[in-house]
Amino acid sequence: METVINEYISQELVRDPGLLPLADDTSLLESGILDSLSLLQLVVFLEERFGITVGDQDLLPENFASVTTICAYLRTREPQKQAAHG
Amino acid sequence: MTYLLQQLLTEAAAQHPQRPAISASNCLVSYSELDRISNQIARSLLHLGVAPGDRVAVLAPKSAAAVAGLYGVLKAGACYVPLDPKAPAQRLGYVVQDCGATVIVTDETRAAQAAALAGSLPGPGSVLVVSFTGSSPVAEESPEPLTGDRAIETDLAYILYTSGSTGLPKGVMISHRNSLTFVDWAAAAAGLSETDRICSPAPLHFDLSVFDVFATCRAAGCLAILPEGAATFPVSIAKWLTSERISVWYSVPSVLTLLASYGSLGQCDLSQLRTVIFAGEVFPPKHLAQLMAELPHPRYLNWYGPTETNVCTAFEVPPGSAEAGPAPIGKACANTEVFAVTSEGHRVSRPGEIGELYVRGPSLMRGYWGQPAKTREALIPSPFRPECEELVYRTGDLVTLDPSGNYLYVGRRDSMVKIRGYRVELGEVEAALYRHPAIREAAVLPVPDELLGSRLRAVVTADDAASLARQSVLDHCRQWLPSYMVPDVVEIREALPRTSTGKVDRAGLASE
Repeated sequence: METVINEYISQELVRDPGLLPLADDTSLLESGILDSLSLLQLVVFLEERFGITVGDQDLLPENFASVTTICAYLRTREPQKQAAHG
Repeated sequence: MTYLLQQLLTEAAAQHPQRPAISASNCLVSYSELDRISNQIARSLLHLGVAPGDRVAVLAPKSAAAVAGLYGVLKAGACYVPLDPKAPAQRLGYVVQDCGATVIVTDETRAAQAAALAGSLPGPGSVLVVSFTGSSPVAEESPEPLTGDRAIETDLAYILYTSGSTGLPKGVMISHRNSLTFVDWAAAAAGLSETDRICSPAPLHFDLSVFDVFATCRAAGCLAILPEGAATFPVSIAKWLTSERISVWYSVPSVLTLLASYGSLGQCDLSQLRTVIFAGEVFPPKHLAQLMAELPHPRYLNWYGPTETNVCTAFEVPPGSAEAGPAPIGKACANTEVFAVTSEGHRVSRPGEIGELYVRGPSLMRGYWGQPAKTREALIPSPFRPECEELVYRTGDLVTLDPSGNYLYVGRRDSMVKIRGYRVELGEVEAALYRHPAIREAAVLPVPDELLGSRLRAVVTADDAASLARQSVLDHCRQWLPSYMVPDVVEIREALPRTSTGKVDRAGLASE
């Protein structure tokens, strides 16, 4: 999961080549990689790739601080997804 | 009588010394403090050799230190040039050289970047770091007012760099009188008072920030600065608006669209928010209607004006009218005349006629810095009163009239597009692409996008198209262009389609 998300962000969202390669714990906010619009682009990708819906209330700095926190957030979502399908 | 922007601060400090001038994260600055520290900054600049009329670059996000820096520059009799801290170094280097800045004012967050950029300054460049908390050479200066007049109202207050069609940004020169014409009108139109808490997320190099920085001060209200981290997350913005009790908001429509779509506004108490102002691009009617349905109580104002004219028309959107179609840009502001001229040279006088919008009045720029030929193309004698000495500005925007006499925006005469409210000349993006050693030809086309206004699609050709990588083109663009100007899509081809006259077939490319 980390690899998939890191690759997507590196290829589609990083605008400054100096930030590559991207470490999983690099702050996506302090580095300026995520702004209000690239965040939504990322959310659309996550929703399509992982079959989840990200609620407005989950769009928070603590969930989207880095590749690592995004994965941690997605893992909290997976049981709900299974429950919904079960 | 106020005729210089910095007099707004002196007056607010005299009448409301203890009222909050700036509320930023972990920092509350009163009018008295802001007045005194800007006096210290002005003295520091004088010691660095800044003379009346000099240009001083300001490299910082919107912060208490940066706003104090703007007033310090003005009090020194100089003209400030706000830089985009997120722009590539090459572009910033061009801007500081073009305007001939002698000093860079910055805050602690951008001190290293400013030091690196100082090498690009013509002559021995200096950097002045302003800080409210840490140690700063500014603190050693006297905070008492400077004596003597250093500027008059026709002197430049600031230069705002905007996208240029020939490949390099151009500097729009705004005098104190130009700016105050807007500031006076805007404070009255928004009904600002000393109890207002006003926010615009626009950075200092974007002309929307003139409103929250100077119109707020004119009313002795409080300028509230949205923390950079919060600006990314719609729910965080909504919570911040609630906790900061923001009463007046001014931004491009795309930020408001995000708030309406993803901000969970229904869960916030935004009862303090009484006026929402937007400008810079067309607000998609569906999203404006959604916002007005979620937040029915504020007034909604659509302001229009290129950087060259400041805001020159305005329209208040009546409740329930948003869904019907794009909000008109409205009628002329105080002390301003606007009129539209058809391609046959007649004045647009009834609905259905389309013409280019012209603007006349004291808010018009002085010209483009160092570009008299470009200035003569933009500021021209009135087509209807050529004997009149006063010039008018050709906006390049096509408009028509509605039955109530409001102007409606129709489109552009040329190849400028808006992305997140920023002006982008397609020619500037193409010029950057042509700097890539392997690219032979380039065409950049706008792709309409509901949220961004436009996205950019670049179609390029290379002698060896197979070996040119998309990533190499993108990396190259990122060295020259701010992120909103970097193409979203890059297509590499063997050849571009041509029209019968041999020109690049843009219409054909666009319809693919």
